[in-house]
Amino acid sequence: MKKIVVENLSKKYQKNIEAVKKINFAIDEQDFFVLLGPSGCGKSTTLRLIGGLETASNGKIYLDNKDITNLDPKDRDLAIVFQNYALYPHMNVKKNLSFSLRLKKFSKNYINSKIDEVSKLLKIEDILERKPSELSGGQRQRVALGRALVRNPKAFLLDEPLSNLDARLRALMRTELIQIQKRLKATFIYVTHDQVEAMTMASKICIMNKGHILQIGSPDTIYNKPNCVFVANFLANPINNILKSDITVKENGIILKIFNKRINRNHLNFKLNHNQIFFSIRPEHIYLEERSDTLLIESKIEVVENLGHENILCVKFNSTNDSLYLRTDTTYKYKSGENINIYIDLKKMLYFDSKTEKILGE
Amino acid sequence: MNKNLELADRGFGYILVAPTFIIILAVILFPITFAIVSSFFDYTLINKSFNNFIGIENYINSLKNERLINSILVTFFFVILVVFFEFILGFFIALLLNSINKFKTVYYFILLLPLLINPIVVGLIWRMFLHPQLGILNFLLSLFGIGEVNWLGDPHMAFTTIIFVDIWHQVSFMIILLLAGLSAIPKEPYEAAKTDGANIIDCFLHITLPYMRPVIVITVLIRLIFAIKTYDLIYIMTKGGPGDSTDLISYYIYRSAFISLNLGEAAAMSSILLLIIIIITIPLFRYMDRLD
Repeated sequence: MKKIVVENLSKKYQKNIEAVKKINFAIDEQDFFVLLGPSGCGKSTTLRLIGGLETASNGKIYLDNKDITNLDPKDRDLAIVFQNYALYPHMNVKKNLSFSLRLKKFSKNYINSKIDEVSKLLKIEDILERKPSELSGGQRQRVALGRALVRNPKAFLLDEPLSNLDARLRALMRTELIQIQKRLKATFIYVTHDQVEAMTMASKICIMNKGHILQIGSPDTIYNKPNCVFVANFLANPINNILKSDITVKENGIILKIFNKRINRNHLNFKLNHNQIFFSIRPEHIYLEERSDTLLIESKIEVVENLGHENILCVKFNSTNDSLYLRTDTTYKYKSGENINIYIDLKKMLYFDSKTEKILGE
Repeated sequence: MNKNLELADRGFGYILVAPTFIIILAVILFPITFAIVSSFFDYTLINKSFNNFIGIENYINSLKNERLINSILVTFFFVILVVFFEFILGFFIALLLNSINKFKTVYYFILLLPLLINPIVVGLIWRMFLHPQLGILNFLLSLFGIGEVNWLGDPHMAFTTIIFVDIWHQVSFMIILLLAGLSAIPKEPYEAAKTDGANIIDCFLHITLPYMRPVIVITVLIRLIFAIKTYDLIYIMTKGGPGDSTDLISYYIYRSAFISLNLGEAAAMSSILLLIIIIITIPLFRYMDRLD
């Protein structure tokens, strides 16, 4: 059974700004469903629509097969974790955690046992008496999470919960969130603009842009088989190489013109009514030595970014002005201005229609 | 830092502060000291001299004076009623306005209008409105068959009328300050509370009130202190009467000084009033200290 189903959901604000445009998706029980996209893409609005903080202009939301589109947030049995934590500043941690249970008039014993359980799980037993203003960002984040956990909601909605933490803490909380989600067998909907968070945590990623859903799939699928230029661009670390190329489509295959070189790809067959495409090649698929089915390019190093464990090279092709990013290990110290031969793995290249920006040959 | 340099630095600091200090000395510290000193002398406007030191006689005389006790009581009820109604009404209106997003500048402007009017003018306008024969209020009431009301002439009515006019004039102050406080409350705690299962009343009690506490305390205290000092409205509308039913303390002190010409006793009463206001202000300062 599907846990949450969203059908043709739209949200129009005043002045006809459409934040979410007729989106559809279904979330399974125990999914870690990540809504990923740049700021303003409608991902937070989608989450707030599911949580009931915004009212839908159109479409339906189902939770456990029940239509919840027009229910009050308090009647949906969903918990929301906010980016800025939204703790109740005048209540101590314990009161923050128990607020919802106290409103629902649960017994004292039940409330205390629940607080015990959750504070142990989140390792916040020592700060139960403190006020939010006396907590660090990481601790506040834990309390905000705890406030959601005590309720045993049907699903958890998290709105960029880690984006206010520093890099190290964010990495630690990532792991911890995954563990908590597995342990509770909970359904998570998680909004982020951070592709690393999406890749590491999600069981399913849903990529949005300008109010539309572009692609839904496992992190592997989305990374390796992006269905359009935007997805290929967005899910890339540090950057995906996407370039334009002339193309001639023949009966048996295609001829590309890449970096002033003609390449025959006989097994490929695209239907195109023009003669330009985008192709993408990820930095990890550009090598410094020849391998099977690679294309040699003479180029010049523009910038070397030393990340400690690897280098990111930005190279410029000598006779056109296209630049490419590739990763290398740090054994050889490259210098900018140095000439270098690189080999592009032709098997790993993806092709996109330059007009529709959709993937070709799928 | 080098010791000499530090000393020089401090000296320079004193030089910078000196002009301000001198001005404060001239316009605040000197009058207060003068008033306190003259409260211990038989100092009248007829005989302006510090020749007759009479100790605390002025204080004893004024505290023995039934009219002062009366004006303290009148002031007490006036302040309590005015602040209470202005707060309740102001908070209610502020809550209503806070949920409106359209025409914010328009209603802010309308709210500011009464505050921009000089209290003397407010008094004059209302005296005209309330005139038993010529006022518009009695005319409107007569349309409903209600007979002539002597708004400012009847002792009980005059007190109520003054309270009403003060509320009309000052409630905007409450609304604007409370509205500023309300609009500074972040919306996320409300959203969190809504998903936590809170209804409107829960939200008000558990989020709005705690968030607003500092604003409420400070607004009410400021208003309280200002209400104790109410003077111009009385001067224009009732001159403390009829009888002494609206004889607020500031007006009574004014009369002692400039009508009875007994400046020494008026200074003694002012000192008492100052002491009362300081006692009321202490919690305000303590509270503001705690906020940091």
